[in-house]
Amino acid sequence: MKDYIITAENIQLLVNDVLKQGWDVVSESKTGVNFNAIKDASELAIKSDSKPSKLSMKDFFFPKTEPLFFYRQSHDGVELVDASPIEKKTLFLGAKPCDAAAIPVLSKVFNWDYKDEFYNKRVENSVVVSLKCNYSDDYCFCTSIGLSQKAEQGSDAMLTEQQDGSYFLHIVTEKGDEFFKMYSQYLKDTQAENNKPVESKYPEPAVKFDQGKVKGWLDANFEHDFWNNLGDVCLGCGQCTFVCPTCHCFDIVDENCNYHEGGRMKNWDSCQLCLFTKHASGHNPRDGQTKRYRQRIQHKFKYYEDKFNEVLCTGCGRCTRGCGVGIDIGGIMERIDKF
Amino acid sequence: MAELKEIAKELLTSGTVAYIIGYASEKNDKTVPFIARTVEDAEKLVFTHHSVNNLSVYLKRIKKPESGKVGLVVKGCDLKAVVALIQESQSKREDIYIISPKCNTVVSDNTKPWNKDNIASKCLSCEVRTPSLFDATFGEIETVELPSDEQIELIKKVEAMSTSEKWEFWKNEFEKCVKCYACRQACPLCYCDQCIVDKASPRWIDSSATVQGNFAWNMIRAFHLSGRCIGCEECNRVCPVDIPLSLLNRKMSMFAVSEYDYKAGTSIEEPTLVGTYKLTDNEDFIK
Repeated sequence: MKDYIITAENIQLLVNDVLKQGWDVVSESKTGVNFNAIKDASELAIKSDSKPSKLSMKDFFFPKTEPLFFYRQSHDGVELVDASPIEKKTLFLGAKPCDAAAIPVLSKVFNWDYKDEFYNKRVENSVVVSLKCNYSDDYCFCTSIGLSQKAEQGSDAMLTEQQDGSYFLHIVTEKGDEFFKMYSQYLKDTQAENNKPVESKYPEPAVKFDQGKVKGWLDANFEHDFWNNLGDVCLGCGQCTFVCPTCHCFDIVDENCNYHEGGRMKNWDSCQLCLFTKHASGHNPRDGQTKRYRQRIQHKFKYYEDKFNEVLCTGCGRCTRGCGVGIDIGGIMERIDKF
Repeated sequence: MAELKEIAKELLTSGTVAYIIGYASEKNDKTVPFIARTVEDAEKLVFTHHSVNNLSVYLKRIKKPESGKVGLVVKGCDLKAVVALIQESQSKREDIYIISPKCNTVVSDNTKPWNKDNIASKCLSCEVRTPSLFDATFGEIETVELPSDEQIELIKKVEAMSTSEKWEFWKNEFEKCVKCYACRQACPLCYCDQCIVDKASPRWIDSSATVQGNFAWNMIRAFHLSGRCIGCEECNRVCPVDIPLSLLNRKMSMFAVSEYDYKAGTSIEEPTLVGTYKLTDNEDFIK
């Protein structure tokens, strides 16, 4: 695929053009909390050396709450009404590689058996332009799970910040190519430039573990004293799973209903919450935080790999940064690696 | 710090306590909750400006020991939660060995160094840096220069808003809520065996993270903590989407003081605000 140069000013012009075409443009919010659909290019916050936002962008593919259909009961029976179709096209701009990389991971589970048309439609309607990451802290570990600060998985194109403030645009997919062809007036040929990428102020992520070795230990140690200590201080909130770009469990409930009508909602759920595995009988096979936290680690670094041949994690570190009691998933992996 | 380790070792060796809930160092200066069960564990205990967590939350979350007390390292501010739990018959004073340090304020952002601009808002109006209820104490009080209390200014700002402006303000905040319930889980006084949002049959509150469901959850929690919240601000700290939950709780606490002259978690002997009725209680807000 071809590469281009795009100036910061031209990104702004391009974004306003895209908005005029009726697309949504989603970027990290300036507050650093989440991703937002912006109304004007001036709201863009493209920073290669910022900490990942607290929430990932998965909400835009797999919303925290989403109606599947509505129902209405009358004398003639039950009438089902489809949820509004997903038609909006969306440009994701400036996502970190660890955020973009979550999309192909999620796509596997949402297409493994039942094909989730809501999720698939959103992916189909999106163009993801990520930004090479120049950040790292004590909680990042993309390099330990086969990704990196310039990993292209899930990106249709990738920007790299240049020393003169412009961006090197590398097209990754056909979809990215088609998109940027529509806005070629904002792109410059790379030959005309003699520029260098910005160098990161941060070193490579310091957390290092060998995922193969960790997987081997997890295969053999479902029961181990190690787990007991981990669950000790976990308070059992769902923060880690909800901020995670790859956690994808959901619950289905009927809501907003009276006797005659309501909607069937698909809501984020979390293996860390006490109701998650509670049976109708009252029995709960994962009856404590130790078992629930073990499930999180096993699902991410063993079960998902067993089934889909990749880990359910992009090493973004959000779960650890946000954990109220400092449970450090990268640190746990390092400890397992040393067993 | 040496004092704390010595106290802990003695308590564990003598069998006075079964374990001690305290803080251990993590990466950089950060500290995390840690349960010391052995003398070796006691060596890891620390208390620093980064000891932010209110560890009294674990009194109701960790199984009670079969013999011995629970040792608890607890700051003066968080100690109010222990008092409230005893007032509400959730813990017994004789079951807890309270190790309460003299505290020189804690950080707001646990990943950054402690300094004048990085001090938790709850420290700015703290009157209990020297604890009054303890079995053991340690440390020395130092003079700390405090920044201005921006939170109280924000409360005044919200108070001055019109109803529709308040609605907009809270709608924008609650829209972000993902219903992770970290606020509830980190709260020492959110100890219901079954929270109303976990009641699935019948379901009283929408579990969907819609504006409606989010308002229902956050308002019910604020009401349920009215006159009970001791102001540790753990809910505010752990919220992954930065909803300023302390504004609600602090406003309700101010109301408990102005209307009923009641401060939650002040005295073990004092009856709770919501558990008592006096003929002189102000009723003019009931319409």
